[in-house]
Amino acid sequence: MQFLSDTVTLSRIQFALTAIFHMLWPVLTTGMAIYLIVIEALWLKTRNLDYYRHARFWSKLYVLNFGIGVATGLPMAFQFGLNWAPFSESVGDFFGTVLGFEGTMAFMLEASFLGIMLFGWERVPPVIHFISTILVAFGANLSTFWILSANSWLQTPAGGQFINGKFVVQDYFQAIANPFMVNSFLHMFFATLETSLFVIGGISAWYVLQQRHAEFFAKSFKVVLVVLIAIAPLQIFLGHLSAEQVYHYQPAKLAAMEAQWETIPAGTPADWSLLAIPNDRAQRNDWEVKVPGALSYILELKPTLDQPVKGLNEWEPANRPHMIGLIYYSFRIMSGIGIFFAALMSVSVIQWLRGKLTGEAIIQEKWLMRGWIFAAPLGYLAVETGWIVRCVGRQPWIVYGQMRTVDSASHIPPGEVLFSLVGLGSMYSVLLVVTLFFASRIIRKGPNLEIPAPVFGGQPALGLELAQHQQDSRPVEAQQ
Amino acid sequence: MEPLQYFLPQVWFFILGLFLFLYVLLDGFDLGVGILSLTASSEERRSILMTSLGNVWDANETWLVLMGGSLFGAFPLAYATILNALYLPAVIMVVGLILRAVSFEFRENADNKLVWNITFGVGSFLAALGQGFALGSVFEGIKVDAAGHFAGGIWDWLTWRSIIVALTLIQGYVLIGSSYLILKTSGELQNTHYKTATIATWTTLAGAVFITVTTPLLSGQARALLFTSPMVFIFGSIPLLGILLIWLLLQSLKNREENTPLIWTFLLFSVSFIGLGFIIFPNIIPPSITIYQAASSLSSLVFMLSFIGFLIPIVLAYNVYNYVVFRGKVVGDS
Repeated sequence: MQFLSDTVTLSRIQFALTAIFHMLWPVLTTGMAIYLIVIEALWLKTRNLDYYRHARFWSKLYVLNFGIGVATGLPMAFQFGLNWAPFSESVGDFFGTVLGFEGTMAFMLEASFLGIMLFGWERVPPVIHFISTILVAFGANLSTFWILSANSWLQTPAGGQFINGKFVVQDYFQAIANPFMVNSFLHMFFATLETSLFVIGGISAWYVLQQRHAEFFAKSFKVVLVVLIAIAPLQIFLGHLSAEQVYHYQPAKLAAMEAQWETIPAGTPADWSLLAIPNDRAQRNDWEVKVPGALSYILELKPTLDQPVKGLNEWEPANRPHMIGLIYYSFRIMSGIGIFFAALMSVSVIQWLRGKLTGEAIIQEKWLMRGWIFAAPLGYLAVETGWIVRCVGRQPWIVYGQMRTVDSASHIPPGEVLFSLVGLGSMYSVLLVVTLFFASRIIRKGPNLEIPAPVFGGQPALGLELAQHQQDSRPVEAQQ
Repeated sequence: MEPLQYFLPQVWFFILGLFLFLYVLLDGFDLGVGILSLTASSEERRSILMTSLGNVWDANETWLVLMGGSLFGAFPLAYATILNALYLPAVIMVVGLILRAVSFEFRENADNKLVWNITFGVGSFLAALGQGFALGSVFEGIKVDAAGHFAGGIWDWLTWRSIIVALTLIQGYVLIGSSYLILKTSGELQNTHYKTATIATWTTLAGAVFITVTTPLLSGQARALLFTSPMVFIFGSIPLLGILLIWLLLQSLKNREENTPLIWTFLLFSVSFIGLGFIIFPNIIPPSITIYQAASSLSSLVFMLSFIGFLIPIVLAYNVYNYVVFRGKVVGDS
């Protein structure tokens, strides 16, 4: 139990815990916010009350996740100073600036318009409500942008240089638009969207399978499916581009992702490891299954490589990542899920084209619906494992090639870190169980199909007294 | 040094002060209502209290995140050193804020709402307590080495004076929460909060007098600062203004006015906050590290200012809009 007296290790565990736990909530809400825009647009366009009821139903799940996301984001905002003081001081000029931007541009926008989106149906005109929903989604995804820009900078630092241990920025825009930024942002943007779509699709499939409001949930199922036709394949492509970037910029991480210990020289075909048992101590794989020549195709679409694939043994153990098994399998889990998602989407589209999802028929598609229920939690797993590859694979660096993680932790007693780690850890365990309980309760309870259309200017919905407003100017049938 | 090297850190000191001030005012009433909810006698009352915050708590709390992020960018040394010094109070605060935030969502879906009302109240109390200790440490000063890194012990923030400062801040939050509830509620519930507001005014006053008197008594540096011209006039007028505002506040409570208690409370907080600003300035890590030593590079300050400075009015505008949309009394959430 030596790690209990090591501030650096404890700080790393705490960061991993808080980041992994925090990620569970915004990954759903940032994607679902976009879905809510689509649903609300359909409501405004078609005046079909089902879409309005969908918006109300899904926003219940949305706000539950949002609340936990905001709450668990707070430790993230302060943790850099609390546990990583030398890091904060050294890179604050850039990193802190970006976090400041995230708060001012993104969080505040999201937080302020959330109230209107949730409670404002009868307090503002429909168009203002719609704009509020858009602003909430915009705020959420803008924060994805800033976080990914900051994290990409840790992977491929640009726009300045370290002078006496302090990062001096020469060009802010170059630092923000560092080499990894565009791909990483897009990959994460579509990851949140895809995860939330499979959650919505999975929950809809559950209702269909239960034959509860099957027709109602066939609607959300199809909206999800239409969006996924484009996204599921695109996400695989973006993942591929990201891996290529790792190959060029972070060869040690690529070697860890592939558990490749020995260098594969240029001009030879590279085998792709399908399964392996990496042995960190002996610096080799104890057992492995390889697909001959496949890695050269994956990386360069050629039978032989133009550039060598460097093996882990090229680096001193102190200069390369460890926990190779974790990185190797995390990468395989993430990619496997991405491919499974695309396959599930394709099968569903085929069934749709064959008319099997129309009307009553969708209830008969039992195995397809079970597949979607199975897929619902997988997006989370893919996102978490992807981040493990990204950040554990970056080690031993906190800023790649520039600043080591061991030099970045606050010089505070390990007991202090242990205190916060135990406190947050136990609280998070309870939170996870309680949130899952309430989420499943919302789902079991189901949507309120009695809920009338919002009346702007009439009786208040929240029981809040209201000043006089102008009359509803929408068509009579929409007012119900 | 060039003039800009003075000017820009000062601008950022002001902006961070503004963020912190807005946080204290807005999350102040938020936390105050949370603490008060522990005393609410019925489910109906607790539900009105929660509903009065429903649309604003998140934005209010976000001012703290804005402050944290901007402090990180503008004064990285201060962000790191202060958080190291205040590790335990910061953790207490974060745990409290998490607890109260999740209580909102859990209570909404729970059968047994009382459990989540208690976690909401306790969370609010813990958050206020952690912030109070942080404020206390600012008065006590933070021990640093020559490079500005934290050089004190893990319990430095816990002194008998910081306990009193923490309790006073909690009283202040209860006061501001009561004034907010006077504005947002009616009938019996409003009556209750005229009472809590009056009590909290006196308890806050007692704490504030204690802090005002002991600060120059215990700190030579504060003494030197307070009793030299022209500062003596500023610091002389602040207690006078404070007393005037407290008198106005008590009058408005006595006359059962609905809007003015919140206004006087806000002004009272403003005056105290400005006083605090004058005591700390030009330090950012009291008592020894100045804003000029802790500031990030000029280019960084300019870059941040060109975006954040431009956004501040917009952010303020839509926050105000949010309050306007949900103006009026809360009468229950059934």
